[in-house]
Amino acid sequence: MAAADSPSTALRRRDLCSRGIRLAGKMRADVVDLLDTYVEQQGLDASASVAAVEGVPLAAVERWDEQTGTQRLLENLAAYRAFRALLAQMLEEQREQLGEADAGLGRALAAVLLQVSAFAYHLEELLRLESRGIPGEEGDGPPPPPRLSLFEQKLRGLGVLRELAQWAVRSARDLRQLAKPSPATGTAPGLAESP
Amino acid sequence: MFSRWNWVACGFCLVLNICSPDASGGLVQSCGHIIPESPVLALGSNFTALCILNESCLDFGNIYANQIIWKIKNRVVPKEQYHEINRTVSSVTFNDTSSLATPLTCNILADGQIEQNIYGITVTVGLAPEKPKNLSCIVHQMSRFTYVMNCTWNPGRHTFLDTQFRLRYSWPEELFPDCIPKGVNNSCTVTDIQFFVNTVIWVEAENALGKAESDPLVVDPIDIVKPLSPRNVSVSSGILPTVLKLSWENWISDAVMTLKFNIRYRIIGDTNWMEVPSEDTASRRTSFSVQGLRPYTEYVFSIRCMKEDGVGYWSDWSEEKTGITTEDQPSEGPSIWRIIDESHSPASWTVHLMWKALKPFEANGVILQYEVTVRDKSSLSCPLKKYNVTSTNYTLQLPKGTYEVTLIARNGVGASPPSVLLIPESNSKAPVKNLRTLPKHDKLWVGWTAPNSYVLKYVIEWCLVSSSSDCIIEWQIALGDVEGIDLKGIKPFKCYLITVYPLYADGQGSGQSVKAYLKQDRPSKGPTVQTKKVGKAEAVLTWNHLTVEEQNGFIRNYTILYKTIDGNETVVTVDPSKTEYTLSSLTSDTLYTVRMMASTDNGSRTGPDFTFTTQKFGKGEIEAIVVPVCLAFLLIVLLGVLFCFNKRDLIKKHIWPIVPDPSKSNIAQWSPQVPAKHNFNSKDQMYPEGSFTDVSVVEIEADNKKSFSEQDLKPFDLLKKEKSTSEGHSSGIGGSSCMSSPRQSVSDSDEGETTQNTSSTVQYSTVVLNGYRDQTPVQVFSRSESTQPLLDSEERSEDHAGGADSTVQRQQYFRQNGGQDETNTDRPCFERTKQITHANEGDLVGFVQLQVSGQSSQPLGLGMEKNTQEAALSNVLQTCTEGQAVRPETVEENPLSVDDMPKSYLPQTVRQGGYMPQ
Repeated sequence: MAAADSPSTALRRRDLCSRGIRLAGKMRADVVDLLDTYVEQQGLDASASVAAVEGVPLAAVERWDEQTGTQRLLENLAAYRAFRALLAQMLEEQREQLGEADAGLGRALAAVLLQVSAFAYHLEELLRLESRGIPGEEGDGPPPPPRLSLFEQKLRGLGVLRELAQWAVRSARDLRQLAKPSPATGTAPGLAESP
Repeated sequence: MFSRWNWVACGFCLVLNICSPDASGGLVQSCGHIIPESPVLALGSNFTALCILNESCLDFGNIYANQIIWKIKNRVVPKEQYHEINRTVSSVTFNDTSSLATPLTCNILADGQIEQNIYGITVTVGLAPEKPKNLSCIVHQMSRFTYVMNCTWNPGRHTFLDTQFRLRYSWPEELFPDCIPKGVNNSCTVTDIQFFVNTVIWVEAENALGKAESDPLVVDPIDIVKPLSPRNVSVSSGILPTVLKLSWENWISDAVMTLKFNIRYRIIGDTNWMEVPSEDTASRRTSFSVQGLRPYTEYVFSIRCMKEDGVGYWSDWSEEKTGITTEDQPSEGPSIWRIIDESHSPASWTVHLMWKALKPFEANGVILQYEVTVRDKSSLSCPLKKYNVTSTNYTLQLPKGTYEVTLIARNGVGASPPSVLLIPESNSKAPVKNLRTLPKHDKLWVGWTAPNSYVLKYVIEWCLVSSSSDCIIEWQIALGDVEGIDLKGIKPFKCYLITVYPLYADGQGSGQSVKAYLKQDRPSKGPTVQTKKVGKAEAVLTWNHLTVEEQNGFIRNYTILYKTIDGNETVVTVDPSKTEYTLSSLTSDTLYTVRMMASTDNGSRTGPDFTFTTQKFGKGEIEAIVVPVCLAFLLIVLLGVLFCFNKRDLIKKHIWPIVPDPSKSNIAQWSPQVPAKHNFNSKDQMYPEGSFTDVSVVEIEADNKKSFSEQDLKPFDLLKKEKSTSEGHSSGIGGSSCMSSPRQSVSDSDEGETTQNTSSTVQYSTVVLNGYRDQTPVQVFSRSESTQPLLDSEERSEDHAGGADSTVQRQQYFRQNGGQDETNTDRPCFERTKQITHANEGDLVGFVQLQVSGQSSQPLGLGMEKNTQEAALSNVLQTCTEGQAVRPETVEENPLSVDDMPKSYLPQTVRQGGYMPQ
């Protein structure tokens, strides 16, 4: 984090954090709503337990309150970039499966995808304010997932959405942490706050 | 010649060349073309076009660039704008494209002045798009999860060209699909809106002449949201009577935005909204308790919301919901007043108590009943009297005295504070002063000056004054510290009687009254004027006051307008209290038209016209004329009577001469022979001369005949002149004339016409031809015009047409004449003669009594001879009998007794030359 924020930078960061927090909140609400729709549309059980999906970053983290702001931003950025790819793949698969028959689900997925993209943009902007380089996206992106069966695709989609909902909560807390004024040098981690 | 044919051939070839199909191109091969092809030009710019001729046309058509003519829509472009670049290219330049039109053609003026079109282009002139301005966007919430963003902008001037507008928006790393307006060029709606990311929004306008972009609008769509108004609004009453709880649901989730609210409410039926303070509802919530409401009042609520931070737009107001607060005990006691009727008994009152129903905000519920308590303050021992009343008035019969009336209104929750009214025995306290009114729009302000004493409150009574119904009193109570109130519900153009009573703690002041109008108008009709009395130069006009309904205001004055038919109108203003006025200085015997006008402050109204005619004579003038005339007449009559009275003997002498009774004449006494009968001749019995059978004959000396033959006719002329009214001469019908021939005189009386109108007159002629006895007879013809009804018997005989009555008639005749009985029918004549003779005793020698017959042309006399003397005498007699009552019937009714009747009365001897006025 920059040693001394200019007032405009601080204002900009506060604005980005505030907006990111609200976006994360809306994203969570939308994802929750989308989960219901998705479960219903895909014929899944809402209580179905889904194992960790490969390529999906986990929101849960140990020593969360010990993370620095930059670290938080980087983890969030990585996660949302992954979600962006996963959601785009889900959207494509959903179109292939249902065509235009369920445009509502497709629009909802697209909306969430947009929000994920927007949140990633917020994170990148915050990193720029932190005078940190933005890590480039990995070349061609993550390795293409193995070919999955249709049911496995549905389960993976359910897992992506559930994890995204978790990440939305965590991201809001991370940004709140970042929005708080730095205690001293700015290199110190943010205040401890349990997710 | 050859040259001409050559040109014709070339022209033909040219046409063929132009029109012949081109194997490589279209159907027509043009001899040239224009550059640029169909340009789009900016309005007001300059423009140059080139017309390039094909080389082939040069050879065959022998045409060159200098022959090119430019035309704009059939209008030749001035050659000054041409420029021949080379022999195949001609240019034209326009400094201002606004003068251009479509099409722009390039033409050739071929030989023979034939104008041939080479090529044409379409020129489009327009404007480049302006930069769109005033871009603004609103995100409308359509449903719980659906938001659309509608952006509007000002597209700028009209470009005259097809201009595309596009709304573009993007994130820093992502460009969204453009929004293309449909049917409009100033707005577009975006459906996929993502919040919490700053979005760059701008508008692009593009046409053939250029492209323009608006300034970018960078906004997070969440900051321009207009949310849906809260739904499922409900109102519930709480425990407190002044609180209502408002509940609702929000459309928008807290994750998207937190909301603040705005609550408004009003009493149903009222139009003014009240708002809950915004700071009370500036946080997220789904319910709110509105406090400070009126008990038992129905309220209408509505709510709206917007983003909590105030960035964005308020939603529309929600649907209205109503709720009623619960009841509370009445907050005020009813206003109470009384009307006291003292007319029934001098010792007691009829007290009409009346009070006003509490207003809803005072009643705080449904008033179930009123409790009236009356306490006689003049008698401490008198118990309280309580009455429970459900209406708003109550009538009591009370002895005169001082009373205290207490009124309580009670609803389902409790009772109101008591209202107390003191009814003193007399209103002995000081009244208000300077009571006045002033209209204020639709209210009537009543003001007064307070008395010096402290006044608890004032009671203002008012009622609509009507001529047809009683004054229905309305009233209102004002606090004691005010000196004026506004009366509501006052109708314009109506008269109100307003009375103000001051109420003191220990009594009441007398009422002061004033009449007032809220608004005045001119009277609805004018007074009807009429005359009470009309004289020669004055007229008393009367009229009735207009009824209060007709006045429409205070009558300030009456105006009398009167005029003659052709005269100027005279105007008289009369005090409004009067109902009578006397017009003076009028012209006599003149028709006047009068009308009357009543005036208020706001106008006048004229009544109907009334006409009257002044009299020709004034009062007493006729009396002044008639009375003296009558008196003069009476005086003349009186004088005449007195004169006549004084001269009565003379008058009587001339008018009523004494008719001598022949039966009492002297000649009757001495005549040796009294005719047994004498009768009148009938018409058809003519007796020849000397056929007298029953005649008393008095000898008359024959030598005297001549002496009165002519000269004695003169008196008959005199008689003719003087007639019967001649004073002193009428009776002197010329005895002398008769003296000539008594027989003639008798015969002359037979002329019928002379006797028609002399029925009541008996004429006697006495001819005295001889001296009496030894005296020298005096020729006297004595005539009597007496109207003495000697011949009444003749009148009565009219009824007896038969000859059998002739005897009776005759008897009556002679009875009347002489009063003799039948057996001595001749005597009356002679008796009468005797009377005359007696009156002229010694002078009368004889007489001939003539009875003039009415219609008979036969002489009544006996042995009449028809000679000239007879005729003359007859004429005289006719004249004499004019105007005298001669009964013709006396002749006609005795035809049967003609044989028995004497044919004539013989003249009797009268002293020669004498004349005896009778």
